[in-house]
Amino acid sequence: MGVFVLLPLVLPLTAWPVARLAEGRLHPRTATRLLTAMAVVMAGCSTLCLALLMVVGTAQLPGNPLPDGWSDPEVRAAVPHDEVAGRAAIPALAAVAVLSGRTLRRHRRVTRLARRALTGLPGREVSVLPDSAPYAYALPDRIVVTTALLRGLTPGERRALFAHERAHLVARHHRHLLAVHLAARANPFLRPLRTAVVYTAERWADEAAARAVGDRRTVARAIGKAALLSRGTPAPTLAALAATGPVPRRVAALLGPAPVTRSWPATFTAAGLAVWGAAAGTLVSAMSSANSAVTLFLILSAATPL
Amino acid sequence: MERARRGQGQLEGQVLGALREAEGPVTAAWVQERLGGDLAYTTVVTILTRLLAKDVVARERQGRSFLWTPTADVARLAALRMRRLLDGERDREAVLASFVTALPPGDEQVLRALLEAAGPGRVNTGSAPPADHGGTED
Repeated sequence: MGVFVLLPLVLPLTAWPVARLAEGRLHPRTATRLLTAMAVVMAGCSTLCLALLMVVGTAQLPGNPLPDGWSDPEVRAAVPHDEVAGRAAIPALAAVAVLSGRTLRRHRRVTRLARRALTGLPGREVSVLPDSAPYAYALPDRIVVTTALLRGLTPGERRALFAHERAHLVARHHRHLLAVHLAARANPFLRPLRTAVVYTAERWADEAAARAVGDRRTVARAIGKAALLSRGTPAPTLAALAATGPVPRRVAALLGPAPVTRSWPATFTAAGLAVWGAAAGTLVSAMSSANSAVTLFLILSAATPL
Repeated sequence: MERARRGQGQLEGQVLGALREAEGPVTAAWVQERLGGDLAYTTVVTILTRLLAKDVVARERQGRSFLWTPTADVARLAALRMRRLLDGERDREAVLASFVTALPPGDEQVLRALLEAAGPGRVNTGSAPPADHGGTED
């Protein structure tokens, strides 16, 4: 497996240019799906490779519960700098586990507390709260808007706001967001993908709202006003209309022409580079970790009499 | 612990709902009876006291006990709970990650300019939202 076992750990570095390109050039829906898939695959591969490194590098340390055969000289020869890499992989894996667990728990806790706060209210999908703080956001299954925010918007802008939040629910954006947050925990190089998906998910909902309302300017004004009125949202995994991400960019995008939906962009455009760059990076990452996993499995089964 | 907390959230709504069905000021014993007697009297009093702290009920002394009246509805109670959740998370957010923030001052300028250029529909929004927990609208 050689250097291939290290490749998935650093390949997420390709996320940065791909995220920048996809965010600006692809249709937000395509960008969200592409970048989320890329983040999930790369995070999975990176974690798998960390685990492989740890097994090989540490199986011969004293007091280790792993069978010594797993750290056969032949196995270790296959891993570059096996002892250093193996030992470094232990705290890295532990950090991934702790941080991912924390992110997951926070997401669950906020969702649960929000649902509990809203028990007893009429209406299944939309809750309007009498509150002097203007805010609006989408929980996984519910839209919450305060009277203060609604009062600041015209009827058309309110329709845009509800259409935007409904788009979050329909497209299950909280899943994309949770996935990229966890991926960013698994490998810090994937953070640009998290930032990008937080933005493109909002853009996706903006475009859906623009189609539903039939007027891009109304959506732009609704976002702008809501942002000027609003406070933050409870957690980054709860998609909000305003204040999660660069609001002015979203407004500017809506004031421009609608993004085109093409199935596959040509290779030598910026959009094409984003798509094919993401595809290539993800594929290489997946292939190297698969290569490493299979190689290790073969060596181990040869070295360990089972 | 988890179950107990959930119970409290729902009970607050039930007690407030019962109070709102009353014709006038009522005692905690009336509320207890109205809720079917599943709850201990002390539990009802505890919940009423908590609702009093949230300013969604009022009480007046009558003899040796209190008479309770609702001052807000269930939606207002939900709004208060939601606000508490948001405020708590914002504090934690400041420690964990910084990207869920209000509009930075620079962004606000850009945004206002953009909306200005967008044409009809004036943008009349004050600068900072009120941070107090009072002010029931409607």
